Amino acid sequence: MSALARVASEFVASWHSFLRRRTAVFFTFFFPAIIVVIFGALVQTQPTGGGLFAEPKEYYIAGYLAVVVLFTPLSRVGSTIARHRDGNRFEKLATTPLTRAEWLLAHSLVNVVVIGLAALLLLGLSVLVTGASIPVSAATLAVIPFVALGVTLFCGLGAIIGSLADSQDGVIAASNAIALPLLFLSETFVTPDLLPAWFVPALNLSPLTFFARGVRALTYTGGEWATNLGILAALSVAFFVAGTLAIPQTD
Amino acid sequence: MNEVLVADDLRKSYGDVEALSGVSLSVAEGEVFGLIGPNGAGKTTLVRALTGTTTPDSGSASVLGSDPTSVDRQRLGLLPQDFTPAGRLTARELVAYYAGLYDDARDPDELLSDVGLADAADTWYENLSGGQQRRACIALTLANDPDVLFLDEPTTGIDPAGRRSLWSLIDDLAARGTTVFLTSHSMAEIERLADRVGLLNEGQLVTVGRPDDLVAEHGGENRLVVRTADSISLDDISLPPSLAAEVTAEGVTVYGVGPREIGTTVTALDDAGIVYESLVWKQPGLEEVYLSLTGEQFEGARPTAAAVAGGSQ
Repeated sequence: MSALARVASEFVASWHSFLRRRTAVFFTFFFPAIIVVIFGALVQTQPTGGGLFAEPKEYYIAGYLAVVVLFTPLSRVGSTIARHRDGNRFEKLATTPLTRAEWLLAHSLVNVVVIGLAALLLLGLSVLVTGASIPVSAATLAVIPFVALGVTLFCGLGAIIGSLADSQDGVIAASNAIALPLLFLSETFVTPDLLPAWFVPALNLSPLTFFARGVRALTYTGGEWATNLGILAALSVAFFVAGTLAIPQTD
Repeated sequence: MNEVLVADDLRKSYGDVEALSGVSLSVAEGEVFGLIGPNGAGKTTLVRALTGTTTPDSGSASVLGSDPTSVDRQRLGLLPQDFTPAGRLTARELVAYYAGLYDDARDPDELLSDVGLADAADTWYENLSGGQQRRACIALTLANDPDVLFLDEPTTGIDPAGRRSLWSLIDDLAARGTTVFLTSHSMAEIERLADRVGLLNEGQLVTVGRPDDLVAEHGGENRLVVRTADSISLDDISLPPSLAAEVTAEGVTVYGVGPREIGTTVTALDDAGIVYESLVWKQPGLEEVYLSLTGEQFEGARPTAAAVAGGSQ
């Protein structure tokens, strides 16, 4: 019960801090909107041609979701850790009953809520702007755990980056350097047949691949998604634990 | 005497820099222990070793009878040096946030009132003045009503009135039995608050004792600092045997001058025809102890015989 109260206290403080950074709030929700407008409305998909964006528009919904699930937690948690370290907040927290796992859980939950809202916005815009049709069934609700687990996974990775980088600038640079290749090499926007055959097995090394495959099965192709959810869950636990251990507790 | 904090031969290095070189000390329950020392002396490292936020290379520490990393954190309070909490939470939200991390916590409004921030409770931390920010930090440090309180330079940036209200707060905590471990660069603060003082220099605890005892042992003598219009010669001055004098750039400093000898000294200056612009009588304090034991410029000690006039003259 007291662990729950501690997580709640950390969640509330983090939530208020986020809501009061108006620029951060604006761009968190502007980001998915601009992605859909650029790729869905301006570039558009060309199902009859070859190359990029040659798949039906529904194919890319998983990719749009992957953008917010990947970028926002990485940069947010990484920067938060850098800010906490600069202000000696971890030194203070280390002398309170709050554990590192509770801290990361609270911040992951804030990100799940924020990115869940951004994902809803993104799905709505996808339907409105691109005319994509998303199958609506009970199974579609499984997108929610995919988003929650994906966010948790990248919060863990963000915690690792934030702990290793020595500044907020370093966090942003490292996040971009890691996120960009992950985004395009995880079956999000680039289909496996566009990549060299020898590279295709490497797609399985990206956790985002399992997110994209599972969400695509739910929002477009249909078929089996539970295995991808299971793999994503296992990876989320692993990254969460690694992120927890990486969070600074001593100097 | 129940020892609440114990450090035994603590050593800690950062690369080639030895921050702690075998520090041993103990602090009793309800005691206010003041730690002074130059920048880089190892004060913050010692606080971190005692709070479990750094791991010493060797030696051991205990807090409330436990290893610092496993002590009951409900009973511990720490205000780290240069601590900066979230800027866009109000003072009340910040205190409530830290209070929410404990099973048993004090009322945030009561704490803000104790540190004189009741009127600014709804102001974002980043919009508080420097002194108000520090007071908010102290309020959140007291959220769990700790039995052992570590304050690493708590009054930096606070104006004199705010500082005195915090001193009064620390007095109250000590009176209620809270053990306080305090670091500061303000000798007045340490003299005012500490039951015992430790001086850390280059990672070593140079001395520990009650402020009065340290001043008596290391603080040097009372002195009369005389600023003269012209340069003078000590040969012209006839001082009582117990006093000694030294020519300085501004005039002359007479050592060993108690309250009763001030008049005698002034008469001696007058008799020598010395025209003085100002007379300042100084008693030694912790600052003199600090300067004496850290090897920094120290004006409290009677100079060597070669530079002295008095006594036999």
